[in-house]
Parts: sequence; structure tokens; C-alpha cells
Amino acid sequence: MQNVLSILFCLSLFYLAVTSRVKAYVSVLRFQGILLTVLLVFPFINHFSVYAFILPATLFVVKVILIPRYINKIILDLDIKRMIEPSIQPFTFQLLVIFSMIVIFVASNILSKSTSIETIPFASGFSAIAVGIFVIIFRKKLIIHVAGFLVLENGIFLFGTAVASELPMMIEIGTLLDVFVVVFLMGIAMNKISSTLSGFDVTALGRLKD
Amino acid sequence: MFEFSVLILIPLLSAGVCYYLKNFRLQYSISLFVSAIHLLLSLVIFIGWYKTDLPFFFSTDSLSKLFLLVLSNIYFWVVLVSFSYLKRPVTPNSEEGKKYYFLLLNFYLFANTAAILSNHYGMYWVAAEGTTLSVAPLIYYYRNEEALEAMWKYLFLVSIGIAFAFIGILFLTLSAKGTPLEGQQLFFSEFVKNARTLNPVWLKASFIFIFVGLSTKIGIAPMHSADVDATSNSPSPIAALMSGSLRITALLGVMRIFQIVQPTSTYEFAKTILIIGGLLSLLFAFIFMFKVNNYKRMLAYSSIEHLGIITLGIGIGGLAFVGAMYHIIYNSLNKVVLFFTAGNIHYKYKTREVDGVSSVLNILPWSGWLLLISFLAISAIPPFGIFFSELMIFEGMLFSDKPWILAVTMFLLLFIFINMGKTLFQMLYRKNENENLPVEKERFGIIHFATIVLLILLIAIAVASPNILHENIVNISKDFGIKL
Repeated sequence: MQNVLSILFCLSLFYLAVTSRVKAYVSVLRFQGILLTVLLVFPFINHFSVYAFILPATLFVVKVILIPRYINKIILDLDIKRMIEPSIQPFTFQLLVIFSMIVIFVASNILSKSTSIETIPFASGFSAIAVGIFVIIFRKKLIIHVAGFLVLENGIFLFGTAVASELPMMIEIGTLLDVFVVVFLMGIAMNKISSTLSGFDVTALGRLKD
Repeated sequence: MFEFSVLILIPLLSAGVCYYLKNFRLQYSISLFVSAIHLLLSLVIFIGWYKTDLPFFFSTDSLSKLFLLVLSNIYFWVVLVSFSYLKRPVTPNSEEGKKYYFLLLNFYLFANTAAILSNHYGMYWVAAEGTTLSVAPLIYYYRNEEALEAMWKYLFLVSIGIAFAFIGILFLTLSAKGTPLEGQQLFFSEFVKNARTLNPVWLKASFIFIFVGLSTKIGIAPMHSADVDATSNSPSPIAALMSGSLRITALLGVMRIFQIVQPTSTYEFAKTILIIGGLLSLLFAFIFMFKVNNYKRMLAYSSIEHLGIITLGIGIGGLAFVGAMYHIIYNSLNKVVLFFTAGNIHYKYKTREVDGVSSVLNILPWSGWLLLISFLAISAIPPFGIFFSELMIFEGMLFSDKPWILAVTMFLLLFIFINMGKTLFQMLYRKNENENLPVEKERFGIIHFATIVLLILLIAIAVASPNILHENIVNISKDFGIKL
């Protein structure tokens, strides 16, 4: 099951590589949030306990409801245009994503021989980290940068489940809240940037340099 | 539980109270009171009069006691002068920035204390991210375009950096596969005890990710850009807070993984990485000082330089490590002094450009002389502390297996000193070109008082060299497996 969900997760990354609509990024974030929630709930399906559901529930609320809604609200408020404004050719971007994913999967397979890791979730998580970084580097709109950051965060989360890290629930919830507040502050900053610097993309940020 | 309440819960509670209080003076009084008891307890814990027994994921050791005292001390002075900053008239836009000032400061104290006292990597991560979240809105205090850009860059880059550090933490978990630590919590103390059993490949990956990730927050080159922007565009107390305490909290995360790595085969690799990071930071500061045109940026680069020296000292080990620990204390005190005086100059001249500032010694005699003295202090002129700590670091470099580093460091530092001095002397002595500046005698204020006390402290600690401090640093060195 973990593998199936991870592959779905990878597919969502491919979708990110081909789409050029801002809204599609939000949908992908929501979809990834749902996948991660299912991934967390799945081990507890047979022995139900309220305690075990606190973390998936928080994850669902933060990653599927609050953050996508908030980003949608920003898009609406700032009247951000629907295209993502890439800084490289879409085809080059897709090649880059596919190539890096191949490298990551092959490398993970080699690594899994010496350490016991779940290859597919491990590689999927890492791919999401790479795609998140590519999105931040090769897209101009700040809102897409935030989405890229969230894809990266989702990747780390998936990666965390692959290495079976035993973080206490309080800390997991703490990390989720941190991410939410980061996005919240970025949203406020974006609002200010659009009103004072009159722009939604990185070209508006060029005042500070040596 | 008492210390947990005072050090962690009360700052959080006081942040909540500040949210509801509309009166700045009241907010200030509460924050100052909280910072004073925080400082008092940190001092008592440091001296050893009170044995701590912290619950959950927190505990104290020699390293955290030292860092806690540094944080408490810097925070206290920053809060003390904050009210006089808030009283200064600003643009109508900036009035809004004042509203959450003390709330965020208190939250910063809460998050930073939690990060320093955490014995668990997960907890450290959450708290360290908390410090970013509390500082980011404070950077935007002036509500101008530069501050906004600085805030965005800081928030974004540091969040990505810290996400990388999280990957490093996950690698640390991976390195524990097949050891007694597998499936256990990520307690530093447990990892240090069982370090030899960890998988070296994953440990190496973990060190790189944590180091690179936290570099964005420490300000180690080449990940320093957001940090420089943030420090140079935030109000002076916040810049002082960042340079004096936030950077070393991030350094603590690197030191924790360095401590874990110490008994393993990855140690030499980690040392090399730290040395490269340190030298690169010095190099970037060296290059920038040649074309400096903004004095607050210059001070931010000076922070990069000194964090570079500290990282170098830690990487070289031996006596240089001891020197680096002293340097952490002296540098944090010195940076506060520099930023406080630079803040006064900014307020008077309304510019951060070096060209717009002249004849400071005549127009602002108090701030001018204090800036001159603190420049001498940061340039390692005796009897100020930095002289002694740098001497120790240099001696450690000379007797290490890489003495050439000393030559490179001295060369870079010499030019940093010359260029920084040239710029500052221009500001202090150049004939007044600002005839429209209102000429009124500078009155002695609380900022000058704080600056003088901190300068005296800088000399006193170095000259008196308290035994308790020396013992603590020797204990830290022992924890890091350093034979003196």
C-alpha cells in the first residue's frame, strides 16, 4: 500500500512538471496532502485508537484544508494570473524532472542494498524534494515558490515515513504547525509585496544586493 | 519543573499577555521583568547553584548552559533598550510594526530557549523554526520596501535551509539502523553515547545536510545572503539579537551533530567541512569589505566574519576550540554594542549609506566614541575579550596539523580590519557635509548606558577570566573529546 501511494505521489510530481496553471499546483498540494494522510492512517486501520488519529487528522486539516484554501484565497485576493511564468522551456523542465527522478530511483535502489529502506517511498520523497527545488528555481511567481516549498515539505514527510523515523507525535504536530505558520507569514508578505512593490514575481525583489 | 516554567513557559505566557495589552509601557515592563528573571535563573544555573531537572525533551549540559546564558544576557539588554527605540517617531506605516514587537520578542525568547535546552533533534528543529517565525516579522518593523524584501528572503531561504536540516535529521535516524538506537528517540545524549555504532555513510550525509541547512541561519558563506539582508534591514535591537544570539542557536545544532560525529570515522571529514565553511565566510567578508557602502551591511558581514572564525576554531579543535567558545561570548556582546551605536547613527542621519554619514564624533559624540571603542574591540585590540579569544584560536591553528590556515586567516583579517577601519573612520571624522542636520547636543540615554556596561563586561570577563566560565568551557571541550 505504501508503494502504491508513493507511486501516486510521483505521478503528482509529473503532473507538476507538465502543468502550467497556478490552480493545478494547489490541486496537487491538496492531492499530496490526502495521500500523506492515507499513508498515516493505513497502519492503524485494523486497530483503531483515537490517539493514533490525532496526527493524521492534524495533517489533513493543515495540508488538505487550511493551506490550499489559504493559497487559493491569496490567488483570488491578489488577482494572480493563471499561468505560472516559467523561466525555462517547459520541455527542458520536464526532462530535468524525469532525469533527476531516474537518478534518484537508481541511487535509492543501490542504497537499499546496504541499508534497510523502503526504496519506493524513499525515492519518491527525495524526488519531491528535488522537484520542489526545481519549481523554486525555475518559476518566477512567488506563489509558485511557496507551492514548491510545500512540495519539498511533503517530500520530506514521505521520506520520513520511508526511513521509519520515530518522532514523537507532539513534535510531528509541531513541525506541521511550523509549516503552516511559515506559509501564513509568506502569504502576508506576498500581500505586502504585491501592494508596495507591485509585483508577484521574483523580479520585484532586486533592491538588496552588494 | 520550576526552571521549565521560568525559562520556557513564562516567556510564552508573557507573549500572550503582550498580545492583549495595548499599552507599550506595560508590555515593556512585563517583557523586561521576564527577561530579568530569565537572566537571573540562567546565571544561577550556569554557576551551578541550582541543579536542573527539565521534563520532556529538555535537559542541560555544559554547552547548553553557556549558550543559555549568552542568549539571556543579550536578550535582556535588547529588551532594556527596546522602549527607547519604540518611542522614536517613525513613518505612519511603521506604527503598525510596533504593535506586535514585544509579543514577538517574548515568543523569540520562548522558542530560542526551547531550542537551546532541547535534548532531542526533533524538538530542536521545531524550536529553531519557531525562532525564524518570530524574527521574520520583526525584520519588517520599518514597513519599507527593503525590509519587506529582506523579510521575504530570510523567511523563505531559512525555511528551506531548515527543511534541509530536517533531511539531515532523517539521515541521522537512518544511520542508527541496526544499532541499539534503532526505533529510539532522537536524543542527542543517546546518540553521543552510541556514536561509534552509527553507519558512517549516513552520518556523513546527515552532517552535510544539517550543516548546509543551518548555515542559512548561522550566516556561513556561501549561504549567508538572506542573513546579511535581514540583519542590515531590521531595527538595531533586532539586528543585535540576531547577530548576538540567533546565529549561535543555529550553530548549536551544528555543534550537536559535530559532537555525535566526534568519536567516529566521519570526524575528520566534518572538521574539514567546518574549516572550509569558516574560511569561505572570511573570504566573503574580505571581498565585501572592499566595496562597502552601507554600514549596517558592513556590520552584518562582520558577523559573518566572526561566525567564520568560530566555525574555524571548532573545526580545528584543541586550543582553537576553547578559543571559539570564548569567542562566542565576546562576539555576541560586541555585536550588540556595534548595532546599538549604529542604530543611533541611522536614526540621526536617516541613511545606512556610508557616504551620507560624516563627522559623527562631533554630531553624536556619545555614539561616535562608543562606536570607535566597539570597533577597536571587534578588531581584537587588547584588553577587549576578542583579542584573547582570537589569540587562543590563532595559537590553536599554529599548533594544529594545518598551520597554513593561520597565514590565510591573518591575511584575510588584516584586510577586513583595514577596510572596516577606513569606512568607520570616514564616518567618524570626515567633515560635516550634512548642513541641514539639526545640531543639538546628544543626550546620554539608556542605549549609551547599555553599550558602556556591555563594553565593561567585555573587558571584565577577559581580564578577570572567571574560574567558573573556564571550567564550563573545559567541560564542553571534554564533551567534544578535546584533550587540552
